[in-house]
Amino acid sequence: MSCSSVDLKAYLLGELPAADRVPVEKHVNSCAGCREELERLELTRSALASLGDEEPPQRIAFVSDKVFEPRWWQTVWQSGPAMGFASAALLAAAILVHAYARPAAAPVDTAQIERRIQSEVDAKLNAAVTRAVAAAEQHQNERVAQAVATAEQRFDQQYQRDLSDARQAVMYYQDRMARLTVASNNAARSNQ
Amino acid sequence: MIFREVEDRDLIAKARRGNVDAYNVLVSRWERRVFNYLLRLVGEREDALDLSQDVFLKAYQNLRKLDDPGKFAAWLFRIAHNEAFSLLRKNRPDGELAVEPRWGEASARMYPMELSLAVEAALGRLSEDQREAVLLKIYQGFKFEEMAEILGCPVSTVKSRLYTALDLLKQTLAPVNTGGAE
Repeated sequence: MSCSSVDLKAYLLGELPAADRVPVEKHVNSCAGCREELERLELTRSALASLGDEEPPQRIAFVSDKVFEPRWWQTVWQSGPAMGFASAALLAAAILVHAYARPAAAPVDTAQIERRIQSEVDAKLNAAVTRAVAAAEQHQNERVAQAVATAEQRFDQQYQRDLSDARQAVMYYQDRMARLTVASNNAARSNQ
Repeated sequence: MIFREVEDRDLIAKARRGNVDAYNVLVSRWERRVFNYLLRLVGEREDALDLSQDVFLKAYQNLRKLDDPGKFAAWLFRIAHNEAFSLLRKNRPDGELAVEPRWGEASARMYPMELSLAVEAALGRLSEDQREAVLLKIYQGFKFEEMAEILGCPVSTVKSRLYTALDLLKQTLAPVNTGGAE
């Protein structure tokens, strides 16, 4: 394998299949020029990787908007389980209608039945509303707590990064100052 | 990775049915990567944030057109690429550099902060096409084929831009050791 046929960049970037990597490694082990070139590429990639990601200054989120939402029939049509559920619900409704539509065997007090059904419906409705409100409140509380925790963590991380940068800057300027002082002293001595 | 892909697919399916909460979860997973890609491409935080919002809005509006949810990342970055270059063309029709070089050459004795500045400056010296190739490969980890889809060009063009960029960056970030004094 000659140097010109070796694709060191593809090797470095993980774009070579496993079978093609072996001959490249063999060549690099026996060729000082390609070895040095690969080391420089590695160094370049490491330097690039040292540039960390920034946090977006603001989170992106969307709210529900009727304009963008699909029609109800699109939603049902695209969902297999929903179609199955709709079919089952339709079947259950048909059975119920059939059951209630049959001629009554004996005269009944319809007003009493209506009151009983109404009271049962009211009770179930109240229970459902109570559960929904409690669940919504709990969900909201969890989201607020999570948002607060995330914000605190982000502030803390930023603070640590700022502190680290400041320390590095101080060390850097202290080092530069020391060098300048030594250079200045040397210059003064040579002038004397 | 496999689990993550399955989860993204599930979120995409829900978002396609109009579930905004599912889409917001998807956005929270990708916004950092998209924002940083755009930031290093256009060089301004405000522009990068505005573009990120546009990208995710367009992605939501066109989610039904995504044929393969497994290719969501490449599809999303294709939208980001189009948005970024639309802005760059509007702002700089003559193709000026987006990021001005601010620092000299790198050296082995650099402090981390100096190195970051040197890397930013070296990236700023590349053309926009070259810089984008580096961003997609080194920082986002896309394969050549995915990069070709995002950039809308052949794989050979992708390799050419990336290899030229790496050679230029290498001269600054990993200069040849001549054996002289520092």
